[in-house]
Amino acid sequence: MFEIILLLVKVVFTLVIYLFIFGVIRLIYLDIKSMSISKTDNVGFYPYLKLINQREMLDFKVEENYTLRKSVIIGRNDKNDIVIKDPFISGIHAYIMAEGESVRIKDMGSKNGTFVNGVRLNEGEIIPLKDGDNIKIGHVKFLFVSIGK
Amino acid sequence: MDENRKIIQVLIAICSLFFIIVGYLTYIQLFRSRDFMANTYNRRQYKIEENTSRGNIYDRNGVLLAYSKLEGEEQERIYPYGALYSQVIGYSSKVYGKSQIEAAYNNELLGIDDLSQVFGMVSGSNYPTRKGNNLYLTIDHKLQALGGELLNGRKGAVVAMDPKTGEILALVSSPNFDPGAKKLEENWQSMVESEDAPFLCRAAQGLYAPGSTFKILITAAAIENGMENEVFEDNGSIIIDEREIRNSESKAYGKIDLKKALALSSNVVYAHLGTELGMGSFMDITNRTGFEKEIPFDIPMSKSRFPYESMDKTDLAEAAIGQGKVLVTPLHMAMITSGVANGGIMMEPVLVKSIAHAEGKSNKELKADKLGRIMESDVAEKIRVMMQEVVASGTGHNAAIKGISVAGKTGTAENELSVKKKAKEHSWFVGFAPAEDPKIAVAVIVEYGGSGSEAAVPIAKRIMSQYLSQ
Amino acid sequence: MLGAITYRRPLNLIAAFNIIGYLFLFFSDEPYNWMTLAVGGAATFIICSACLIIIKRNHGDEYLILIVSMLLSVGLMMIYRLDERLGLKQLVWIAVGLGLFFAFYHIYIKVDKWDRFAYVYIALSAVLYLVTLVLGRNINGAVNWIVIGGFSFQPSELCKILFVFFLASYFKNPDNLFLEKYIQDKRLRVLLNKVLLMLVAYCNIGFLVLQRELGTALLLFLTFLLVLYVFSKDLKLFLLNSAFIVPGVIFGYFMFYHLRVRVDAWLNPWADITNKGYQIAQSLFAIASGGFFGTGIGMGRPDMVPAVSTDFIFSAICEEMGIFGGVAVVLLCMLFTYRGIKIVLGLKDRFKKILGLGIVTMIGLQTFIIIGGVIKLIPLTGITLPFVSYGGSSLITSFIALGILQAISNPKFDRAGGEANG
Repeated sequence: MFEIILLLVKVVFTLVIYLFIFGVIRLIYLDIKSMSISKTDNVGFYPYLKLINQREMLDFKVEENYTLRKSVIIGRNDKNDIVIKDPFISGIHAYIMAEGESVRIKDMGSKNGTFVNGVRLNEGEIIPLKDGDNIKIGHVKFLFVSIGK
Repeated sequence: MDENRKIIQVLIAICSLFFIIVGYLTYIQLFRSRDFMANTYNRRQYKIEENTSRGNIYDRNGVLLAYSKLEGEEQERIYPYGALYSQVIGYSSKVYGKSQIEAAYNNELLGIDDLSQVFGMVSGSNYPTRKGNNLYLTIDHKLQALGGELLNGRKGAVVAMDPKTGEILALVSSPNFDPGAKKLEENWQSMVESEDAPFLCRAAQGLYAPGSTFKILITAAAIENGMENEVFEDNGSIIIDEREIRNSESKAYGKIDLKKALALSSNVVYAHLGTELGMGSFMDITNRTGFEKEIPFDIPMSKSRFPYESMDKTDLAEAAIGQGKVLVTPLHMAMITSGVANGGIMMEPVLVKSIAHAEGKSNKELKADKLGRIMESDVAEKIRVMMQEVVASGTGHNAAIKGISVAGKTGTAENELSVKKKAKEHSWFVGFAPAEDPKIAVAVIVEYGGSGSEAAVPIAKRIMSQYLSQ
Repeated sequence: MLGAITYRRPLNLIAAFNIIGYLFLFFSDEPYNWMTLAVGGAATFIICSACLIIIKRNHGDEYLILIVSMLLSVGLMMIYRLDERLGLKQLVWIAVGLGLFFAFYHIYIKVDKWDRFAYVYIALSAVLYLVTLVLGRNINGAVNWIVIGGFSFQPSELCKILFVFFLASYFKNPDNLFLEKYIQDKRLRVLLNKVLLMLVAYCNIGFLVLQRELGTALLLFLTFLLVLYVFSKDLKLFLLNSAFIVPGVIFGYFMFYHLRVRVDAWLNPWADITNKGYQIAQSLFAIASGGFFGTGIGMGRPDMVPAVSTDFIFSAICEEMGIFGGVAVVLLCMLFTYRGIKIVLGLKDRFKKILGLGIVTMIGLQTFIIIGGVIKLIPLTGITLPFVSYGGSSLITSFIALGILQAISNPKFDRAGGEANG
């Protein structure tokens, strides 16, 4: 009996360490995935979001640029394409649809709203973005830059 | 960006180093850990032993041969039959370590199996007491006791085995010693220094000239070379390259065939046969029957010797009658006899029949493998008939048992004392019974016992008749 | 909710690891030792709050501290199980180390002009070495400790970091560090710089060998080679220094008896098992007895291995947590190296890049050298397993290095700089 309990504890113990390793690897993987969106190599070929805030003023991780190669979801959840850990951003906050040159934005029912040029989007409302638009999500402000700029 | 490429190379290099560590660790665990665990300098072993009640050892019918008794904090190993099994089971002493079965099956007796090794369940010192596994030997206690009784203090060995399964039924060696821990400690020094070598398991490790028992192999070689029906002229002595070889008591048998020559154990005929057959046949038959080879066995066993680089005529003649540089162990001789009895197939000898788990879980049965064919079945059959003739009308007639056909061969082996006429020769007998459907094969040697029929034959007869009457 | 207890929150798993481990230790030994629970609780609290601060305050990369926390937990649990008194001390060292970790994180960011102090690094190392030679105490055959007021300290540990700082200052603007004002001829200056660089490097290594710190010497040499390989444009210089390995090893083998003993013990520890091969044989016995899952914490006999809480802690981990535990430690170190290099790759500032690479490779190689040594893969050299082994000097140095790495990893303070940028 003692040996069985001991074995059980040992296996659980080992499992915990490996779950931990797996968990860290997963987080790093998600991190790298989101980093590939923020790469600046392709600026000019794709529309992108440019951070207006000073990064030093934000106490969470935000990149300077997010390239919009394809449609992306912005939110706090790790599974989103653009993950921003701002407490004022909802789990799934906004959806940016990019189809070639036309880029539109949609609020996904966020708590604190998505603002384009200071105007809050209604839930479900889809608005096309044009060059120079200001987008505010939680504390974060982006400038939208379209192709050809 | 060139630098970043180089940084990635550095990363790959360091990660490979780590993978090498992981690989090496796995290698240690899979392939080396058993050796490390068994190393005598590994003090963890003693800790395991303190926490384990060592398993019992029984004979094939469940007679208890060894067990452990807890005396205060210390465990004591008890051997109810004292010296009788000292060279089979051996001893288990804190001071002097372990020998024979106690050593070879240490892990099983301590209940350390591969699974508990994998799960690391054995090295702990804080474990509650655990129980080891029990062993069942192939030994038949009645035969073993009878063997010990018949040797009656004379130096020698008695081996009995089942020719079809390779199971060892009796493995008696004399002299022997008391394996109890206290006796061992008292007598250790004198036993180590003793000329009688009481620690030597003569049955498996004693090397003797086979004498005329070796003629069985020469007969096989002769039959294989088509000399089965040849008739030989025996004048009682033969001179080969200035070396005279004589029959026992210099008897002349006249014109005799191979069968008769074996029955009468004619040295003249076999010395002649040896020179006829030549070195190639000798090498061939000794190679097939396992001379100069390690034979797998549960306890240490010596290699039988046939150490010729080249053979002149004298060597051939001497080897043919089992003298010269040929040396065998009694166990090997019993195996060769079993091979003849078993239609030419020699079995691997086994000493442990099964391992019984302490908690009464399934028993693990151990089965012997075939070692290989030592001769064609028709050759074996012809030799069997000839060996029957040895007992029916030849030198082995004292081995005859009423109502049972016995096959056998006597042997009289010269030794360093007999050459100087200071002592008698070693007395050999090998045989099996019943001849048509062999159930037991025996090999008996009595050191300085004289001719085969004098000392060895009566012992073999009693062993065989005892086993067959059970 | 389930996510909170599975792999999604690695921090919870660290807490779970500690709780299971210490509870098991507590219940498996009667009479119950309440100190086990106290130490367990304190360890869990200290380690987890350090992680939380880094994550919540967004002080740069969060994975480094997570990985290190797991290593700390494994090490502390093992040390406490081996010797309660040492365990308590180690807990204090961890607390102090974490404090220094945050301190150096902030100091590094505040000071910012680290690349201008190259001469200071050299001078400081020299002073430390000389002090050690004069005041050094012989502990376990190595003259590398100074004892001040009952506190023993190993200055060579600090020299490792100073050396990396020096390398970073040198390679920020390769071959231009020394004699800038005195020698006008550029080619001559570059040549002299290279000579001086090698002089400094080999003086460092030489002092370490004198103090019989073979492991640290080897570590410094390998780090030097790697930095040279990556950041020096002069491939010949790298090859020249690599070529020093062979004569260096032969020279050392015949010059130093203790080196010969180590090599002999590595080649065949069984030949002289009671003497030269004793340590390594005991270590292998411990590793072999663990099986795949180990004997369980507190169930094995790692106390039979000499120096088990420092150099041979990995053997104890293998015995009680099994090969799986040992492999987990190796994987954690690998993950640490990977994450560190990943940070280095993303840096724009050349000084930081060199500094980061130096620190990461140093910690990674140190792990390899000591683990490889205790499993008889390479000759044993006595150094500690970073963040796992017992030892104040080693722990504090590792934490300072980690603090600097953490500061470097914060992208908010990364600015382009240095000669070979872009």
